Amino acid sequence: MRKNETILDNIDWSLILLYFVLTILGLFNIYSASFNEEYPSIFSFSQEYGKQIIWIAISMFLGFIVLLLEKDVLWKYAYWFYGFCMFLLVAVLFTREINGARSWLGVGSMGIQPSEFAKLGTAIAISAYISGMNIKLQSQRSAFYANMIVVFPMLLILLQPDAGTFIVFTSFLWVFYREGISYDFILGSLLRLIPFVDHTRIKVGSNFIPLLVVSGILVVSTLLLSQSSIQLFGYALDGYWGLIVSIGVFLILALIVVRLTVMLRERKKLYYVLIVAAIASSSLVFAVNSVFGYLKSHQKERIELFLGLDEDPDGKDYNRNRAMAAVGSGGFFGKGYHEATLASPQQGHVPMQSTDFIFCTLAEEWGFVGGLIVLSLFIVLLFKIIQIAERQRSTFTRVFAYSVAVIIFYHLAINIGMTIGLAPVIGIPLPFFSYGGSSLMSFTMMLFVLAKLDSERKNVFR
Amino acid sequence: MNSLEYRKFVVLFFFLITAGVFSVRMFYMQIIDDKWKLRAEEISKYKMTTYPSRGIVYDRNGNKLIANETYYDIMMIEEEIKDFDTTLFCNTFKLSKEDLIRTYESMVEKQGKDKKGKSNYRKFKPYALISGLSSDEFSKIATELQKFPGFFENIRTLRKYPQNSGAHVLGYMNEVDGDILAKEAYYRMGDYIGRTGIENYYEVELRGQKGVQYLMKDARGNISGSQEESKYDTAAIPGRNLELTLDADLQTYGELLMKGKIGSIVAIEPSTGEILAFVSSPTYDPNLLIGKKIGKNFLMLQEDSLKPLFNRPLQAKYPPGSTFKLVTGLIGMEMGVVDSNRAFSCIKSLVNCHGHPTAMSMSDGVKYSCNPYFYQVMSRIVQQGKSRSIFKDSQLGLAEWYEYVKSFGLGQPLNIDLSGDIPGFIPDVEYYNKKYNSAWAFSTIYSISIGQGEVGVTPIQMANLACIMANRGYYFVPHLIKSIKGKDISERFKEKHYTKVRPEYFRPIVEGMYRVVHEPGGTARRARTEGLDVCGKTGTAQNPHGEDHSIFIAFAPKNNPKIAIAVYVENAGFGGTWAAPIASLMIEKYLTGEVKQEVKEKRILEKNFLIDPSIH
Repeated sequence: MRKNETILDNIDWSLILLYFVLTILGLFNIYSASFNEEYPSIFSFSQEYGKQIIWIAISMFLGFIVLLLEKDVLWKYAYWFYGFCMFLLVAVLFTREINGARSWLGVGSMGIQPSEFAKLGTAIAISAYISGMNIKLQSQRSAFYANMIVVFPMLLILLQPDAGTFIVFTSFLWVFYREGISYDFILGSLLRLIPFVDHTRIKVGSNFIPLLVVSGILVVSTLLLSQSSIQLFGYALDGYWGLIVSIGVFLILALIVVRLTVMLRERKKLYYVLIVAAIASSSLVFAVNSVFGYLKSHQKERIELFLGLDEDPDGKDYNRNRAMAAVGSGGFFGKGYHEATLASPQQGHVPMQSTDFIFCTLAEEWGFVGGLIVLSLFIVLLFKIIQIAERQRSTFTRVFAYSVAVIIFYHLAINIGMTIGLAPVIGIPLPFFSYGGSSLMSFTMMLFVLAKLDSERKNVFR
Repeated sequence: MNSLEYRKFVVLFFFLITAGVFSVRMFYMQIIDDKWKLRAEEISKYKMTTYPSRGIVYDRNGNKLIANETYYDIMMIEEEIKDFDTTLFCNTFKLSKEDLIRTYESMVEKQGKDKKGKSNYRKFKPYALISGLSSDEFSKIATELQKFPGFFENIRTLRKYPQNSGAHVLGYMNEVDGDILAKEAYYRMGDYIGRTGIENYYEVELRGQKGVQYLMKDARGNISGSQEESKYDTAAIPGRNLELTLDADLQTYGELLMKGKIGSIVAIEPSTGEILAFVSSPTYDPNLLIGKKIGKNFLMLQEDSLKPLFNRPLQAKYPPGSTFKLVTGLIGMEMGVVDSNRAFSCIKSLVNCHGHPTAMSMSDGVKYSCNPYFYQVMSRIVQQGKSRSIFKDSQLGLAEWYEYVKSFGLGQPLNIDLSGDIPGFIPDVEYYNKKYNSAWAFSTIYSISIGQGEVGVTPIQMANLACIMANRGYYFVPHLIKSIKGKDISERFKEKHYTKVRPEYFRPIVEGMYRVVHEPGGTARRARTEGLDVCGKTGTAQNPHGEDHSIFIAFAPKNNPKIAIAVYVENAGFGGTWAAPIASLMIEKYLTGEVKQEVKEKRILEKNFLIDPSIH
């Protein structure tokens, strides 16, 4: 390592490039989604697209500042930053309610949403805590504190209330999973209440987390699809068959991938895991669907209400119905830029189309091809972040990178999922695409902090 | 820590499987399944049909027979209704609350249901709540209407029949039903179609062509622009105007004369086959059958015991009575079994007759309408002695006779330009063989010689027979169409149809018809009209429904005739008493434009058979 090496030499430029591509695509998508004929220039600062340019500029400025920081500032001041975010989360509860929630600090359109920054603050704090633990992670105390760092902001967010961000915070489970934080102490204390069970012999570790999350997703998707039907090979099938078919398709793809990439002696075990997983998830889908079918109507109604499902496409199900119609009408190549007929500001069929339902404009104007390209870009970004995470010698950076990856992934999955009818309608932004300063600043700083930490990977040993 | 590193694969696998499921889902939604595309069209597109104005119908003198009048539908979009004041609304539209609820429910019901049994009614779409308000009615509530958000008017045109006459010619229109919707792609729910008369026969010409505008609508259902620069829009093509052969004045006058009588008048211009008047009595005001009142009024007319909806000139089958003697005489001469100077004595033992001098010629026979005279002509037609068997001989004769009669346009529909004309009936050999088991001769069937028995004709066929007499041997298919704007009328109306009787044989018959009216002892002295040379023949048809039908066919003037006419007055007795004077008044009205025979006219106008059935 030479002394005159600058930070610019060590930065992972592919990460920065991905950020720029996504942000610029997002800006042009907003330019179409909220286009106003009276202000045709993209630099109309009274319009959302003009404002988004300002937000991009501010975000990049903040990102640039982050790159210039001293190398250990972040983990030195991690808890201060976390504390500041928690203070904002408390402060926001004393503001006036807007649309049934207290989420905004500041005035008018230039206000900020503390909950967006709380994700960043929590990610930094959890990285600092886990990397700073000199005791074994599996100890009850440290596992408990690690969980409390996440649970505390979640409770504050629940008070706003902001269900979307609340769910996003559960993504930290994946970070704990990766770091091996055990939940045995919680299970153990629960099992202690049951007589004749030796709780000390219960050892589940954190392996239940992915199973829990995947099962949760399958349950929600099955319920969402339970009332629809699909046409396959000329047969009309119940909607949940779409999931089964997807699982089947994915199993075959996964088997092929394993065969091509994994060493021979590892293969057999993986084949076994994949097939068991596929059978298990299919069974779960079947089971949920049939149990739902047996439920009494008022129980069904409660579940449908929770998922935002309703038979009335022009009433309670209006948002989802319009969003899905916009996506579906895009076809293979889409209707063309500025040519949307549903997700168009003049027609106004899709509500909140520059923020929560921004993906509609993309999918309608650029079709399946455009949607797939953007989805792939996100997956490439996520893989890149995981790749960065795994090349660190620093636990702090790895934990932070995992946090960023799963937060972005949850936003992606819930946002796109709800526009294509695979997730309940929960209002959270699509990173880099939805209009709004807070989320753009927050995601920008996440990536730039990551880039900064990564650039130090050769000299940081913690 | 190393033991945990494999977990990155679980995380990546989770990312991938989600992206994979999303891709499959997007592929299915955007490419395989059409459901969301159809839904998007339903939400964002609006196919607006523009309606052409229906063609206007004129008579031969340029008087409007059918016009268009503007009407208003009160439309509603349920979603946009705000602060609805039921009482004020009901007062404005003069409805009771129950009526309003019933109207609303029937409107919703009319939209039908989808496969799942859910109503097709949509709260965000406009529907006609109240339809068919006249301009007057609408102007009274126009300002009030603005007080009801969610309600607005839709302008529509309906037919109007300014002459208040000619109902059976003009016909009526109503909403298309399921049968028509299934058969003809042009029509949509709520469209109107001509059901009878000219409105029906010339439907395609009159309706024009609907236009289409493809529009965009926004989330609130407002039209927000056109689609693809209106590339696929088509303009509505207005319907064609028609000129009918009818003479509105004559038609109205005919209906006036027939008031209080059941029957028909058909008047035709012999040189062209153009129908001048077409009266079916009792008649009705065609304006009864338009707009919202059609349902109620149609039911009323349908239940009337005098059957005003029945198109008598076209569909009523009567015996021709003595008018048929003209045909018998002509065929006899053409076949050579008699000549025009042949005398037959009035032998009442053959067939009953009234007192008159002996008919010394064919012309006399017509003048006196001598039954035994034509009995003897017919017996020579049917039994020519060509076969030794009397049965066989009769069959040969009748078969020959049948072909001649057919050439007069009898026993088959004339196919005029109104639908529903019936063939009438002329008995043939096969018919009698069946009826009498092949054992019949002239003596069995003699009553057909004087137009009784099985012979059945319609008034339009009788008027056509008058034309043949006027033209001395040919006719044009009677028709109502004179011209169609921008299109030729059918060639078949310009084609001469010759009878199988040569023109020279018509001279003595026509002479007889002239003498019927003009000479003492003629049967239709009441048809005489100064200076008009009316030639005619009376008929008195015995029938099973009561008094004889009074029949008269005529044409005038004798040379170069301008009008041929047939008059039927049901159960009115002798042909010369009622039908003949009616015919002469019609002829006078048409040829001179006015009626000077006031006494005669008064007698007809005052006669009402419906309240006073006596025939004199």
